Amino acid sequence: MTGGLTADVAGARADTPPPAPPSTEARRSRGGVAGGRPLWLMWPNIVLLVVVILIPFLIAIYISFIDLDQYTLRRFFKAPFIGLANYVEAFGAANLLHSIWVSLAFSALTTAVGIPLGVLGAMALNTRFRGRSLVRSAFLIPYVLPSFVTATLWRFILQPSGAANEILGVVGIDKAQWLIGDRSFWSLVIVDVWASWPFIYMMVLAGLQNISSEMYEAADMDGVGWWQKFRYVVLPQIRGQLLLGLLLSTLAHFNNFTLPYVLLGTPAPDAALTLPVNVYQTSFQVFRFGLGGAMAVISLILMIIPAVFYLRASKLTAQAEE
Amino acid sequence: MQWLRKASAIIAATSAATLLAACGGGSSSAGGGTLTVFLGAQPNFPTQFAAWSKDLTDKFKAKTGADLVIETYANAGDETTKIQSSIVSGTGPDIYNLGTTFTPVAYGTGGFQQLSDDDWKKIGGRERFIPESLGISGPDQTKQIGIPAAMRPFSLAYNTDMFKAAGIAAPPKTWDEFTADAKKLSNPGAGVYGTTMDYSDPYDPWKFIWAMTEQQGGSFVSADLKTAQLNSPEVQNATTAYFDMLVKDKLADPASVGWKGGDAIVAFGAGKAAMLPMATAQSVPTLDKSAVKGKYAFAPLPTVAPGQSQRPANGKPAASIVSGDNIAIASYTKDKDLALAFIDLFTSTDEQLANYKAFGNLPVNQDAMKQLSAQNTLLAPFLQIESQSTPTAFTGGWADVQNGVQNVVVQSQPGLAEGTYDVTTVKGLLDKANAAAQSALTRAQK
Repeated sequence: MTGGLTADVAGARADTPPPAPPSTEARRSRGGVAGGRPLWLMWPNIVLLVVVILIPFLIAIYISFIDLDQYTLRRFFKAPFIGLANYVEAFGAANLLHSIWVSLAFSALTTAVGIPLGVLGAMALNTRFRGRSLVRSAFLIPYVLPSFVTATLWRFILQPSGAANEILGVVGIDKAQWLIGDRSFWSLVIVDVWASWPFIYMMVLAGLQNISSEMYEAADMDGVGWWQKFRYVVLPQIRGQLLLGLLLSTLAHFNNFTLPYVLLGTPAPDAALTLPVNVYQTSFQVFRFGLGGAMAVISLILMIIPAVFYLRASKLTAQAEE
Repeated sequence: MQWLRKASAIIAATSAATLLAACGGGSSSAGGGTLTVFLGAQPNFPTQFAAWSKDLTDKFKAKTGADLVIETYANAGDETTKIQSSIVSGTGPDIYNLGTTFTPVAYGTGGFQQLSDDDWKKIGGRERFIPESLGISGPDQTKQIGIPAAMRPFSLAYNTDMFKAAGIAAPPKTWDEFTADAKKLSNPGAGVYGTTMDYSDPYDPWKFIWAMTEQQGGSFVSADLKTAQLNSPEVQNATTAYFDMLVKDKLADPASVGWKGGDAIVAFGAGKAAMLPMATAQSVPTLDKSAVKGKYAFAPLPTVAPGQSQRPANGKPAASIVSGDNIAIASYTKDKDLALAFIDLFTSTDEQLANYKAFGNLPVNQDAMKQLSAQNTLLAPFLQIESQSTPTAFTGGWADVQNGVQNVVVQSQPGLAEGTYDVTTVKGLLDKANAAAQSALTRAQK
């Protein structure tokens, strides 16, 4: 349906002449009260965005081009300009590519596991049963816990004498070290999935509650099975929420600093050296602020790519404009 | 790119001004009869901290007529972030607490005041302090920024009952004796081991390797601070010796690959290990609540490297790094005399004893430490340990050096957990660490 609608709109656009440019009066109204909407109310937000996001971002870009470390920190504005040297070093000696790979794998895996869990959880709780409110609240506990608390809690669980090994011991599995070496990566994935799947659950549940009962009834009357109902009734209706959840979830996993930092500490095992932790170690443990700035800028560019891709794919921007 | 620099400078200045205004100028400056000090929080002693802070504030008011504001940081990350932002903005606390190994980095920023002889006189003179505690105050005596505030030398805690039962008369003085004693004390079948180890602690492992390196006559950094030596034979020997304690000699619980310092203290306190290396006096309150209360003592860690019966002529005892806290005066402070008055109070005999009583920090004040040693025989060995302490290299590149060695241990953990390590891999890791350390030392020389 969406495809047809899009084609119709495209056809209509092809048949009609391009709209005339807006009049001066109309243009003026955009900055003031457009269509009766007081757009000037946006100014506090815009100012905050500039102060909190744009200016630090510009400073980060500037820092990435200068040789800023503990020796030049005090003479911030006189630190030597070194062009792309920080970027070259980031790709060479700073394990950047390795960290990008770790972060990509980490965010892809946690998202891939978290989404089906969230969808299943939402569908299970979309039907009425006794105690549903309690279960709904319980499902949110991992998500509302501060990341620091989650990481500390799991660090205790996964330590050599922790609950994980005790439970595995009961079923005859030997104790293992979960927070070192390659296993640390899988521990990170498991803990992050545990902490983040309720986000997808919430997004999907919101979408499910917008599906009218008539659609289910119509599907029942057509005699469709559960899979067809899910595939042709539920999935198209929650597509927007799911794609938005996918986008936000992927970005959040990629950017997650607190969890690996608290769970594994620093220096992190190579297998779990995510990009945010690497940037932190570079900037605040060995005080190479310029190099860390270059890595942060690269990280931001990497973040923008999937964001643009997902927004275009889901037509979220188009829907917002409409 | 001059325009970019100017534009960025304007933006950054505007941003900083806006943010500072937004923060309401919370951090004070001196000159208005107020002094702000930035100290580590004491999460394990909240009640004591409140009482100690009030007492210190009252005494400062009585001494100077000025107000004292105590700001705290929760961890090293908080501390460095605050220092960095203060250095850039030129505003913030007047006095900072600095960990000893962080002092060279802080010195490199140029954000702290170097003390003149007159300044030292105002805080009781250098002779007020235990001489070794001044070992990491500055690159030399004329450029000192750090005033010793507390000492936390590392020691060997040992279970006196277990030693007696095993017929061991005295704690080990060499690492070979340490190994022999630990083997004698081990009973893996009963879950008891000769020693604890904490290969996953973020701070302890590099100190073992550093001590064994210094004792061989080696060093992480050359004497002129220009050359990294992390891939030297001495460091390689020290690293493999440190791993061999678990892998070859099986002196500790195999689970200790994943242990941090706290896990080691718990195991020692439960009587599951006869020795606890890298123990500090701050472990006393915990151990006194454990099963080993009254059954343990402290001694210096071995001062002769593994495989040797005595130190070579160029070897250093390195019983501990010069460990503890310094305090330093920010370069932007407007009332240096007030800051010195605080330091004079803070390092006085009475206040140093009060600090020990509240938090277990050993005094750096000679008189206070002598009094404490006379009153408490358990702590007496720490005076000897401090006298055998060796300072780490005073270079702004130290963070890379320390983190590099620590990283060698972290990346070797999977092998250690399997009861093995590969010498070639260890050498490769040390080479990599050395390259990063060399880069940092070169930057420090600029």
